[in-house]
Amino acid sequence: MDYDSCNTDLHLGEKTFQLSCHNFIQHSKAIGDGWVWESIEATNEGYMKKVLLKMKNAFGYTIPEQQKIVNEKTYRQEFEVQDTMDLEEIDISSIDLSGREMIRFEYHVVYSSSYQVPVLYFRACDIDGRPLTLEEIWQSVQENYKERLLEGPWETITQQEHPLLGQPFFILHPCRTHELMTPILKGAREEKQSVNYITAWLSMMGPVLGLNLPISYTTATSAQQLD
Amino acid sequence: MADDKDVLRDVWFGRIPTCFTLYQEEVTEREADPYYLLLPRVSYLTLVTDKVKKHFQKVMKPEDIGEMWFEYEGTPLKWHYPIGLLFDLHASHTALPWSITVHFKDFPEKDLLHCPSNSVIEAHFMSSIKEADALKHKGQVINEMQKKDHKQLWMGLQNDKFDQFWAINRKLMEYPAEEGGFRYIPFRIYQTVSERPFIQKLFRPITAEGQPHTLIDLLKEVSPFAVSQGGGEKKYQVVIHGIEPMLETPVQWLSEHLSYPDNFLHISVIPISTD
Repeated sequence: MDYDSCNTDLHLGEKTFQLSCHNFIQHSKAIGDGWVWESIEATNEGYMKKVLLKMKNAFGYTIPEQQKIVNEKTYRQEFEVQDTMDLEEIDISSIDLSGREMIRFEYHVVYSSSYQVPVLYFRACDIDGRPLTLEEIWQSVQENYKERLLEGPWETITQQEHPLLGQPFFILHPCRTHELMTPILKGAREEKQSVNYITAWLSMMGPVLGLNLPISYTTATSAQQLD
Repeated sequence: MADDKDVLRDVWFGRIPTCFTLYQEEVTEREADPYYLLLPRVSYLTLVTDKVKKHFQKVMKPEDIGEMWFEYEGTPLKWHYPIGLLFDLHASHTALPWSITVHFKDFPEKDLLHCPSNSVIEAHFMSSIKEADALKHKGQVINEMQKKDHKQLWMGLQNDKFDQFWAINRKLMEYPAEEGGFRYIPFRIYQTVSERPFIQKLFRPITAEGQPHTLIDLLKEVSPFAVSQGGGEKKYQVVIHGIEPMLETPVQWLSEHLSYPDNFLHISVIPISTD
């Protein structure tokens, strides 16, 4: 793996980031989980992306175990939306939402060269394209993570500019990702096991924002990993 | 270092004459006079415009006042970019004063971050310093500081106190003598012609042979389009704090002396106008 040679410094290089994402996306395609790679034109950079549509009801956002989560492709299939239409152009009057709002969550996994870790960028809007506020986003955070997030100023959700798109997104600040990932990487190395950084990291960070990984990612992406 | 401190002061006290005008379609009870202000280059729009807000709110009804935002010739101005960077990038080729339009309605959600309070600016500022230190010292210097030192950096910026700020910031500008410079240089290169907001990559200040990297080395590696090849006609200006440094300037020196208070070297690449 492309880690710094120093034992105490297990940073993620950008090439390894891209390779890990590639392997992650391969499995995502295999199980229809909706992650894709978005390239930046005229560069060798890009980011991993997933769009989720979630129902919102009077009690806040429904969590995956209680309500069907549909990715964008499934959504189009279910409501017979033509592929050529942008989501924003869908005629919502033809959709029976049973009085509940549909919220479009967009997740990006972007490499930070400063911290040499992946960063989870996300934003959400309603069916009319109105962006959700920070307070509304906060509702989507799992209850048991809120306390942890509120403990430290570095670990909260903030609005920031997406470094590749220049648009407002929310992020979980990456400054402690390395600290959290080091024991996992060390443990895997000592056990002579492969670990896909993105899978391990997203398994840990994703649930904060209602982004849960099927368990099959662990075995599938580890098997593909190069040593 | 005495001469270099003069450079630090000149950068810190850089000012931009600015005229704030209320957007013509804002609803007012009477005509709103323009508001003139010398803006500090190194600070942030939303941090230094309380008087502007109060000035225009006097002629408006409470129900017509939303979050204040700024625009220059149709471009919303990102408050989280330092003021000097915004001017260099968008307005440096136009006549002074800088004409900024003030809005209170129709906040452009897809272009601008919200700025509900000064604590949001502080969080952004400290986050930038922390990121810069991650590049320079693996975050060790900023993490070993006490909270009161972080606070002093912020208060120095907020209150425009050069000595207060640099009493702490000088620690962030140090490096072991044997290494000859920072681990990586915190820089961002901006150009309006690109959809991407800025270019940021890892770049070391010293070559493998121990020679200092220069500004042109940085540009050739990261933004080759910005430097003319083979003596061709110059197409772009490379601007930091409103000036064009010689391309032979060592990037380590630039990082120590021409960085903004967030410890980043914000470099604008501006097409040369043909007027």
